[in-house]
Amino acid sequence: MSEANALNLLLFLPVIGGALLLLLPERRPDLVRGLSMLVLTAQLALAVWLYVQFEAGVSGLQFETRIPWIAAWGVHYHIGLDGLNLLLVLLTAFLGPLVVAGAFTSITRDVKLFHGMVLFLQFTMLGTFLAQDLFLFYVFWEAMLIPMFLIIGIWGGERRIYATLKFFLYTAFGSILMLAAVVYLAFTVLSQDGAPSFAIADLHLLELAVPVQVLLLAGFALSFAIKVPMVPLHTWLPDAHVEAPTAGSVILAGVLLKMGTYGFLKLGFPLFPDAAQLATPLIMTLAVVSIVYGAGLALVQDDIKKIIAYSSVSHLGYVMLGLTSFSLLGVQGAIIQMVSHGLVAGGLFLMVGMIYERCHSRDLAAYGGLAKLLPAYSVFFMLLTLAAIGLPTTSGFTGEFLVLLGAFHAAWPLHEQGVTYPLALASVAVLGIVLGALYMLRLARRLLFGEPRAPEVEAGRLRDLSPREVSILIALVAAIFYIGLFPDPFLQKTEQAAIDYQERVLAPVGEDRP
Amino acid sequence: MIPEGLLLAALPEHLLLLGILTLLVIDLLSSRARDPLLPALLAVAAAAVSAAWLAWTGHVATPFPGHFSVDPEILTAKAVLLGLSVPVLLLGREERLDSRFAMLVLASLYGAFLMLSGDSLIMLFFGIEVLSLPLYALVVLAYRRPQSAEAAMKYLVLGGVGTAMLLMGISLTLGATGGLTLEAFQQALASDDILARGAVVLVVVAFMLKAAIVPFHAWAPDAYEAATIPVTAYMATIVKAAVLLALARLFGGAEAGPTLVAVMVVLPLLSIVWGNLAAMRQQGFRRLIAYSSIAHAGYLFLALLGAPEDRFGTVAFYVVVYGLTNLLALACLPTGQDWLRDRLVGLKGLYHRDARAAIFIAVAMLSLAGIPPFPGFVAKFLVFRTVMEAGFVAVAVVGLIASYLGIYLYLRVIQYMFMTPSPAHPATRRTGAFAATAAALAFIAVLVVGVFPGWILGGL
Repeated sequence: MSEANALNLLLFLPVIGGALLLLLPERRPDLVRGLSMLVLTAQLALAVWLYVQFEAGVSGLQFETRIPWIAAWGVHYHIGLDGLNLLLVLLTAFLGPLVVAGAFTSITRDVKLFHGMVLFLQFTMLGTFLAQDLFLFYVFWEAMLIPMFLIIGIWGGERRIYATLKFFLYTAFGSILMLAAVVYLAFTVLSQDGAPSFAIADLHLLELAVPVQVLLLAGFALSFAIKVPMVPLHTWLPDAHVEAPTAGSVILAGVLLKMGTYGFLKLGFPLFPDAAQLATPLIMTLAVVSIVYGAGLALVQDDIKKIIAYSSVSHLGYVMLGLTSFSLLGVQGAIIQMVSHGLVAGGLFLMVGMIYERCHSRDLAAYGGLAKLLPAYSVFFMLLTLAAIGLPTTSGFTGEFLVLLGAFHAAWPLHEQGVTYPLALASVAVLGIVLGALYMLRLARRLLFGEPRAPEVEAGRLRDLSPREVSILIALVAAIFYIGLFPDPFLQKTEQAAIDYQERVLAPVGEDRP
Repeated sequence: MIPEGLLLAALPEHLLLLGILTLLVIDLLSSRARDPLLPALLAVAAAAVSAAWLAWTGHVATPFPGHFSVDPEILTAKAVLLGLSVPVLLLGREERLDSRFAMLVLASLYGAFLMLSGDSLIMLFFGIEVLSLPLYALVVLAYRRPQSAEAAMKYLVLGGVGTAMLLMGISLTLGATGGLTLEAFQQALASDDILARGAVVLVVVAFMLKAAIVPFHAWAPDAYEAATIPVTAYMATIVKAAVLLALARLFGGAEAGPTLVAVMVVLPLLSIVWGNLAAMRQQGFRRLIAYSSIAHAGYLFLALLGAPEDRFGTVAFYVVVYGLTNLLALACLPTGQDWLRDRLVGLKGLYHRDARAAIFIAVAMLSLAGIPPFPGFVAKFLVFRTVMEAGFVAVAVVGLIASYLGIYLYLRVIQYMFMTPSPAHPATRRTGAFAATAAALAFIAVLVVGVFPGWILGGL
């Protein structure tokens, strides 16, 4: 098997799995779960292999495939790995088997459709990360909504239909404006180069007037900012998270939200660098507002899922701060923070799902002293809490620390030149860490400590973690500590791409860009 | 005297005519009702093969110079229309419609072909009438319901208004340019003369009425609802396709003048907005499809703003995709008493009763909403790219935002099918073998166009 085909196989494994799924009888959910598990585990193995083979310090794409798809429009099936998407692909593949394993007992209705949708989602998410052709990117980006719409709408909570419609309509509105920008880019390429193309590399070469860039960036940025989500476009997130089944929440927090930040990193800023420089004050301000406001909201929630949902708003604010600092450390930190948040928030949602399965309540006030009732559960919950706070040796620390370091690193010289806002914003962002500790410790204290109580505890139905649940959590915690203790290989493999991104966006307005 | 080359050039038409006559003779000679499916399918298949073969060999002919001509593009369009009518006939069989249905459909198709091949305004008018007259009868064919007669009446009267406007426009064209050919009309398109402008607007409005563009759309919801499923399918696919393709050909290589551009920007945009908004409130599936077809007619008219060389191809691709998705959705509607199966709430929990049908309808709805990876997305992209390339950037952006309004109504159908429980005693049953075949054919076609749109786009 050639190396590029390994990447194609990685992408299409869920499709193959989905086709096999169709052959299985509806009455055998065990077979359906087993098959999905098998496919996604194979995918993870392949992703790890690709990660190991990925060469650090090299610009451009590796494991590249490019074949014409819609020849008349210059659309190609063009995928490849680079430093920007490598870790996110790994994260997506890592969470896949955990999501399926986590749903063994919680999803009992329409099992076949559920696993089909998870596989469909996995395919579209990986496709979005891997696409190197704008048309292909958009197809995957938008197609991703379909399985998520069904997952929230079919297996969600009481207000699932409201939540899933809100999710779909909110994100689709952003996509429509992005589509307008994509169509505009398509015919600009045709008029400037004389040949149609959607290759992202070709789009980098376009010469676009600054006002046009601003409008196009606005179209892309709105779509990405909704997905991240950045305040004030975040209102769909708590509803979607609260109503989604555990698996939906995990995928949503773990991977889907990263689509937004990845979009800025891969397309938004590099495609329109002049506009990006102009928009930096606005986006950076919104990022810091998201950090603080998200944390503040998390502090006053009583629904456990909402606390974690708002904490996502806050944590992804750091990612945006890192990306807009345009410093090497900040960008690398942002990438690490994306992966870290995927693991930590994904893990927390899994744990909320586990307690919900036992007690059928997400109300913080209903719980207390779980440390005595469920010791193993509490240990893992505490570990994830510490990672969410960003304690050293966890992945959260690596990400947030690098982001803040990068932000200050970039802000100081600007401050000396008389531009003070980045420094001020970076200082405010530090506040988010304190708030983060506050809301996470509040959650942990009220959940784990104090008078032991929980719904249905008298019924004697409260069992501690099963071996299946323990293995899921061990995998997550191991990954979190691995990134926290040994971030070096990750940083090395993303360094070149981060340098290229930084150089491209930061070149003075109007000059030729690399 | 038979004009030279007529036999070959109009072979698909001859075969259709042969089919109609055969059905008629069988009906007359046989004492009991006979299944019309086989002869009708044979005629359509033979006509499709002949059209495709002629297109393949690059056949160009003008048996009636200035009135009737064929070239590979037209022949391909005819073959596609014939292909789309196969599921329609299968659906008719599913409903146990007798040979009148098959005869009328073939006759109407004959009219569609005259429209596509017509080189003069007279021939075009003739084609539209041959297309429409059987339709009025087809709508009333579902005589089991009293509102069918009312809807058919409405359709007939409004259709008559359209015809009158078209004739008026044609005569003004004659007055302004002294000709009745398509070239004369294209001359009028580019002209500043007040008479010519009036002529153009009248003709275009007549077409808008046939295509159900706001504010000439009022007949469509009633007619779609009153007709039986196969007739609704026929109206939503082949009629719409024939009208728009004929209009694209009528415009030819001419640029539209400013008056016409204003009409062709404002009314289609209104159609998209109103069609989508009104569709949200519908409780019946066919009315929903009707309002959605009003919105889609808006996209199609926007495509006509495009550069002359792009128009026909864009419209052709769009109508094929649109027709296929509609056929797919209508073929999957569960059977039951007509008014029961039409209620949207009747679709509740369909996934648990008939997973295949639910998934097929979901695919059709998402494609109509223009969500990738389904072909409706490529079609939408193509239309808006064509519009933007012609310099109407703002129109394209407004149109795209208006298209956003349509997403909810299609999601609502999916929500009913997948997210609400099935009633304890559902009033509808699974579809039979003929509808299932029609659905499977449409689904395969949708899948192929969705995954490899390049095959078709490359040929345009």
